[in-house]
Amino acid sequence: MKRYHFLFLLLISFALILACNKEEIDDQKPEIDLDISGAFPHNCDSIYFDETFVFKAIFSDNTELGSYSIELHQNFDHHAHSTEVITCDLSPVKTPVNPFHFIKSYTIPDGSSEYVTNLEIEVPNGNDNNDFDEGDYHFFISLTDKEGWSTQKGLNINLLRRTVN
Amino acid sequence: MKSFLGFLILLTTITSSGYSQSVLLSGKVTDENNLPLPGATVWLMPVKKGVITNAEGIYLFELFQKGRYTVNVSFLGYKTETKMLNIQGKETIDIQLFPMLQTLQEVEIKDNYLERIRKEDARNIEVVNDVFLKQNLGGSLMKSLERLPGVSTIEIGSGQSKPMIRGLGFNRVVVVENGIKHEGQQWGSDHGLEIDQFAVEHLEVIKGPASLMYGSDAIGGIIELKQFGIPSNNTIGGSIDMTGKSNNDLIGSSVSVFTRKNSLYLILRATILDYADYKVPTDSIDIYSFRAPLYNNEMRNTAGMEKNFHASFGIVKTYYLSRFFVSRVHSKNGFFANAHGLEPRRVDVTLHDRSARDIHYPYQEVTHFKAINRTEWMKSNWHIESEFGFQHNLRQEMSQYVNHGYMPPLFPNDMPFPSDLERQFDKYIYSANLKATRTVNNKMLVTSGLSMEHQNNRIDGRGFMIPAFEQFSGGAFIYGKYTLSGNSLLHLGVRYDFGAIDISPYNDWFESPNETENGIVNTFLQRAPALSRNFSSFTWAAGFNYNLEKLLLKVNFGKSFRMPIAKELAANGVNYHHFSYEVGNPDLSPEIAYQLDIGTELTSKYFAIGITPFLNYFSNYIYLNPSSEHDQLYGNGNQIFYYTQSKVLRFGGEIHAHFDITKSLKAGMIGEYVYSEQLSGDKKGFSLPFSPPASVLLHLKLVPKPFYFIDKPYLSIDYKLTASQNQIVPPEEKSKGYQVVNLGFGAEIHLKKQPFTLNFQVQNMLNQKYYNHMSYYRLINVPEPGRSFILNVSIPFNYKIGT
Repeated sequence: MKRYHFLFLLLISFALILACNKEEIDDQKPEIDLDISGAFPHNCDSIYFDETFVFKAIFSDNTELGSYSIELHQNFDHHAHSTEVITCDLSPVKTPVNPFHFIKSYTIPDGSSEYVTNLEIEVPNGNDNNDFDEGDYHFFISLTDKEGWSTQKGLNINLLRRTVN
Repeated sequence: MKSFLGFLILLTTITSSGYSQSVLLSGKVTDENNLPLPGATVWLMPVKKGVITNAEGIYLFELFQKGRYTVNVSFLGYKTETKMLNIQGKETIDIQLFPMLQTLQEVEIKDNYLERIRKEDARNIEVVNDVFLKQNLGGSLMKSLERLPGVSTIEIGSGQSKPMIRGLGFNRVVVVENGIKHEGQQWGSDHGLEIDQFAVEHLEVIKGPASLMYGSDAIGGIIELKQFGIPSNNTIGGSIDMTGKSNNDLIGSSVSVFTRKNSLYLILRATILDYADYKVPTDSIDIYSFRAPLYNNEMRNTAGMEKNFHASFGIVKTYYLSRFFVSRVHSKNGFFANAHGLEPRRVDVTLHDRSARDIHYPYQEVTHFKAINRTEWMKSNWHIESEFGFQHNLRQEMSQYVNHGYMPPLFPNDMPFPSDLERQFDKYIYSANLKATRTVNNKMLVTSGLSMEHQNNRIDGRGFMIPAFEQFSGGAFIYGKYTLSGNSLLHLGVRYDFGAIDISPYNDWFESPNETENGIVNTFLQRAPALSRNFSSFTWAAGFNYNLEKLLLKVNFGKSFRMPIAKELAANGVNYHHFSYEVGNPDLSPEIAYQLDIGTELTSKYFAIGITPFLNYFSNYIYLNPSSEHDQLYGNGNQIFYYTQSKVLRFGGEIHAHFDITKSLKAGMIGEYVYSEQLSGDKKGFSLPFSPPASVLLHLKLVPKPFYFIDKPYLSIDYKLTASQNQIVPPEEKSKGYQVVNLGFGAEIHLKKQPFTLNFQVQNMLNQKYYNHMSYYRLINVPEPGRSFILNVSIPFNYKIGT
């Protein structure tokens, strides 16, 4: 009988040692901040075809940032996934003909716990098929930290064509 | 097959030798009218031999030794009779049984069966019958079982849930029904277990590794469903169950009919459930920073329905029992409309809020068909059992077409699948088991067995997660139980398994722009190349039981394994519901776990306490690791999750205590705790996903004496305290602790000659708003259902037909 008591005690003490020895782990998500001056785009902003805009945001993490990606796709059916509280006035629902679509992933220099993007993104006027569709689009930002925590931000934006003056 | 039978016989006869067979026990089992009762089960203790009475109601045991025995006779619909005997030669003991008014489902678990499990199984097992299920009826089978120590569930809405045993779930828990492993899409977190809880008669939860009997996957434990019940001869009977739940306006009914004429019997059951959107104690849900208002506290589009059908029929002979179980479980239920998975969605509020009962996009439909034959032969010291099973699992996820990633903005009209079919999993499973048990002498019992399973998995729909595949697995085991002395038992078993998986290649149905040296080239990306892998594993287990009058002790130590599944080997797609691009690893090795289990139980007249600690080590736990990378071509800009393997240590346990305050007032306590830590790899120091928080359930039950026409009345109150869960892995959220009060009461009511059972529950009595760490919707901050009143009425009926 004694042997089993011993086994049991061993088990419990082992558990206790382990629970106390636990090193601190990172359980904080990185943050996407669009509140700095010059940040672009904000929810409901407009971006123009045939122009280059600068994506500017400040990313931060308690330890080290990982990477990020940008995705821009049509929201003509108002399917949403905006993560923002403010809702924008959307154009009427319509059927896409030749929508613009942009997906790209980017690295962040190793060791950064804070990073300000100054990313130039060129929006072409059209492709081989024709001019891209104007209208409601989603601007989706995904950010990770080194541990694999992630934050997403979905913005409603307008993609427009400047009228020739 | 023949040579295998020969092998089994050889294995089990090696240890046998000549014994004098002059000790005989025989007798006749009769009913209340002194007519013979064929098919009654006669159990003899402590030799653990069972026979079934023949057409004349006669049973016979050949024994090895003179001495004291206990004979236990049970028959469906009759009160179990137990007799202590002192057998010194040839004895004839006739036993008369008297009927009790009950349904097929109200068969009490034979007392000696529970005792056997408690004292003679080295593993920790919880046993539950339909009475427990009706008193704790939740929205789905696993939800009703959540009260058991060490059992938790992963919830998906109000009508679906998945089992979890001591923090392990998905493909690490096996569900077995009538000997056949239930095969659905266990790996998915967004649908539940396809089992009709009204058809459950007897259920056992084996905590800890059980690869020995069931091979791959049984690494965390087993949920075993058994149907013992065979109607008594010349009867026709059945039951009507009606149930209602206030929180999601559930109405449901389950009707069963059974009959038996001599050796043939038939049992039929149909269940229908229909429920509306469930209500939560909040008027809006914060999906990230996006606030989705709720109408009338209703979780938009979480309504659903279930339609199930079961038939069981068979032949009952003296030494032979062959039963068929055929079932079809069908469910359709909506997903919360404001978020598809974790992805917030704009909702057509007028469409969705028109009715709480309708189901719109996104929704899922699951159909599980199952046909099983289970045959048993009993002859002197042999018990041979075979099981054959066929299953078809079809799961469809339907949603409005959205062009994710590089999919065309408009759904092409020449596709082989409809635009709203997001994913389809179509699985065919063929299983066969053979098992032989031989009572070698009154000290030793040897069981050996063989099992095989073949799976054919097809996929369809616009989304890609796992490729189509075929899979074969087979295993053979031998297990022995040896009585060391009057109060200690030794168990030893070994098993060998083999598995092969063939994965089909898959290419996207749409083109993606691939940046190459020659500029951008549009290609149909290959998501999965053809892949074939073979696996094998040798596992073992050793156990020990030590039983004193007031103290039981059990120790079990074993090795278990799990073959990597298709998703872990070959996933290569975006899970849009989780913003994750999941990448399989074709080089994964089978997961190996070692586990030490201890069970102690101390009982006295008014008090009982059981403690069941465990220590578990995985040398290569398969883990979906969220990395810091993003992928633009295959992953459409989503975060990459890689399947990796890491060393994992887990420990924990349960504590279970009862105390009889007075004759009619009982107090109880159930506590559970699990700790997990990854010891290597990228997430070293982190826990595992879906780690159940520690909890304590305090329980008070009043069981007054029967009065007037009220029998077995009870009133119970459960107070459950759950700790916060701060041990999380990406992308989980920490969950705060909470307290929930549940109330239950009921009785058997005898009005005139017609009895019926009534169970009433108030779940979440204080209408607490709390988050369950184990809920699929936890990440988008959906609280658990608010207060709910649940009523269940069972009306049995039973008639004798011409004798």
